[in-house]
Amino acid sequence: MSTDVATSTAAFGSSTQFSAGEPVISIRNLSKDYRDFWGRPKVKALKSLTMEVRKGEVFGLLGPNGSGKTTTMKLLLGLLFPTEGEISILGRPATDVSKNERIGYLPEESYLYRFLNAEETLDFYGRLFRLPANVRKQRTEELLELVKVSHARKRQLKEYSKGMTRRIGLAQALINDPELILLDEPTSGLDPLGNRDMKDLIIKLKEQGKTIVMCSHLLADVQDVCDRIAILYGGELKVMGRVDELVKEQDATQIRSSKLSDAAAAEVREVLRKHGATDVQIDQPTSSLEDLFLRTVQESKERPGRRISV
Amino acid sequence: MDFLPDVFNISQAVGQWLLVLLVGLVSILFITFVSALIGGGVKGASRYGDSLVESLSDLVSVSSTRCYALAKLTFTEAIRRKALFVFVIFAILFMFAGWFISDSNQRPKEAVKVHVTFILNSLSWLTMIVMLLLSCIGIPEDIRLRSIHTVVTKPARRFEIVLSRMLGYIGVGTLLLGVMSVTSLIWIYRQVPEAARSELTARQPIWGDISFLDRVGTLTNAGINVGDIWDFRSYIEGATKGRAIWRFENVTPEMLTTVTSESGEKKEALRLESRFEAFRSHKGNMNRGLNFQYIILNPDNKLEVPAATLQVAEFIGRTDGIPRKLAGVTAEDSGKIYDLFDDLVAKDGSLTVAVACTDPGQYLGMAKPDLFIRLPDAPFALSFFKAMLGIWLFMVLTVALGVTASTFVKGPFAIMVTFTFIMVGNTAREFMDKLLSNKWTGGGLFESAYRILTYMNDTTELPNNPGTQLIKWVDWMLNGFLWLVQQILPNFSYFNMAGYVANGFDVDNMRSLVPAIVVTIGYLIPCVLIGYYCLRSRELEAK
Repeated sequence: MSTDVATSTAAFGSSTQFSAGEPVISIRNLSKDYRDFWGRPKVKALKSLTMEVRKGEVFGLLGPNGSGKTTTMKLLLGLLFPTEGEISILGRPATDVSKNERIGYLPEESYLYRFLNAEETLDFYGRLFRLPANVRKQRTEELLELVKVSHARKRQLKEYSKGMTRRIGLAQALINDPELILLDEPTSGLDPLGNRDMKDLIIKLKEQGKTIVMCSHLLADVQDVCDRIAILYGGELKVMGRVDELVKEQDATQIRSSKLSDAAAAEVREVLRKHGATDVQIDQPTSSLEDLFLRTVQESKERPGRRISV
Repeated sequence: MDFLPDVFNISQAVGQWLLVLLVGLVSILFITFVSALIGGGVKGASRYGDSLVESLSDLVSVSSTRCYALAKLTFTEAIRRKALFVFVIFAILFMFAGWFISDSNQRPKEAVKVHVTFILNSLSWLTMIVMLLLSCIGIPEDIRLRSIHTVVTKPARRFEIVLSRMLGYIGVGTLLLGVMSVTSLIWIYRQVPEAARSELTARQPIWGDISFLDRVGTLTNAGINVGDIWDFRSYIEGATKGRAIWRFENVTPEMLTTVTSESGEKKEALRLESRFEAFRSHKGNMNRGLNFQYIILNPDNKLEVPAATLQVAEFIGRTDGIPRKLAGVTAEDSGKIYDLFDDLVAKDGSLTVAVACTDPGQYLGMAKPDLFIRLPDAPFALSFFKAMLGIWLFMVLTVALGVTASTFVKGPFAIMVTFTFIMVGNTAREFMDKLLSNKWTGGGLFESAYRILTYMNDTTELPNNPGTQLIKWVDWMLNGFLWLVQQILPNFSYFNMAGYVANGFDVDNMRSLVPAIVVTIGYLIPCVLIGYYCLRSRELEAK
């Protein structure tokens, strides 16, 4: 997904009204009760949620299953109606359809029309934005390249793997070159390569000034790309703030250097103890399994038929 | 023809429709406003106002590009879901139908009637079932699979979704009907026995209004009832002053056709086609039909000119030419020649034709459609395609009802609701009309049950006690509900034009085609609005 996303933006007419740092999503005391057939509250999916998402940031909604992440997302999009509270998204109420001109949405599962092929799918969604035919065509080409499914453009989506469907789902979310992108579990169903591509793309979109809200329970993914996060549990907001600040251990210090000999390591340990350090650990750092996997795949491509030395 | 619908009063119908729509809209707005007020107080009322503004904005911001995209999606979906398999059923029908409906002993008219009725009814039901299934499952499936999430999160308005779904299915139905109607027409031309092919025609009748004179010449609404349970026709007695009188309006010389007499002479005449029914009170001469006579009357100057005596051609009907020039036959006007238009058509352009039976003691049965002025025939194909248009309109209404139902209930329930609506409208309307006409003795549902259980006949007065009062009250309530159902249900009889085509008539524009169009539009508009409102007010989550 290395192709540049920003093309032919003039055709979309989505002039930005928000300056960097200004809130594009504003939620006040948002609650959602799911009711039974008789209208009695059955589940409190969201309890008095208040938060803001600012222009240009990547915001992560975290939480275990049933914590209210997807409900929040659907309330933002007007798919569900709030029991209480107010939502303003791009300066408009959630029920206002015109706001959708500037939004891209990737649902949790890629709920696309399985009887259409990739080209038809993007053309269909492009028409919903009333994009002119030439822009639709150009945009379809670019996005198919971007999400790497151009080789399967004529195949019906029912023949696609989950990962490919996810990619085409992402392409439809970007068809209008949106200002605000809502991604529900964007990396679910993707292999590690696809996962990395997705994260790279999110970072690229952020660099282009897009605002991204993503919800996920894959914490490593969120940590890699999000500026700020909110953690929900049982429908309540538990933690919200900048990722780097939230994950920083306040009562520990980390020193990193090139590899030391055993004698040098012992000396360093002694110096640290002299300065009152307790629980000193000196060992070799580990990379993530994701990094190892990606490195292996890359080397396999470059030197086929040879075993990789780790 | 055994039926003749009344002429449809469009202005009255449109007026009533507007009134019902207005009352319905005001009621819904009032009820929803009160609900919002009760549920959310002032804030609720304010939200209601916003929602109303958004709804209006949805209605006026319809985009043809989006509608086209969504309609095309619906069309593609239906085709890729193998909707065209209906052609296989259709082909099977065609391949084997001939075995069952062709009969070498049939009279030509009967042969045409059987073939045409079979085709038109088969197409009507086949299309209805396919479109019912498609239109009722589209939106619920979209919601169940959540693919609708990717549409409503784009700038597509829910009004556009409902409208386009309907348009897409109508497109599919049009394709199906288009192919099937052309094939059917070819099949009819090939399948109808050669001897009967001359009956594949579309007679263009000018219908008149009928009244009767009894045996002493007094004007009555109906003739004699000879004991036939089917009171469609009533009878006049032979060799009395009994007459059936037709009044045809706007008769002009352009209606004259050139006919060839038995002697081979060509002359201008007004063609009258009749199909009377004989009721013999005694055997009489069995080698010929009963005698009858046309008498042309001019009410302005009381002039009466009888035409030649003719014989009834029972079950077949006959066409006769009333010559433009008629000779007087009475003692006063013997030898005088009357011009049909100068002397016999009244100043208001109407022509009055009386029919008298001249066989003493015999009876001649007649109804309004039994006599008409026959204009030059139209091609059979024209009439056939008009009937296909009727089926198309029926399909449009089915789609509108199906899509509307699918916006508030799941697919199987939507199918059930729509199918019930169509079946009740098709089969029970006459029964409902009769129940509500107050001509029904024995009371309503509970009163009838009470009478059955207590062995009480339907003319005896019910005893006056609280129990019977309660029964009457409940029946009154049920009747009210029935009245409401009767008002809501479309009159599906307008869509069935098979009778015209099967009987060799051109489909009457004002009696059938225009009403069918008006009824379809009349239901289509509220259906789209109700469908939109239901889809807008629901959360699009599969539950």
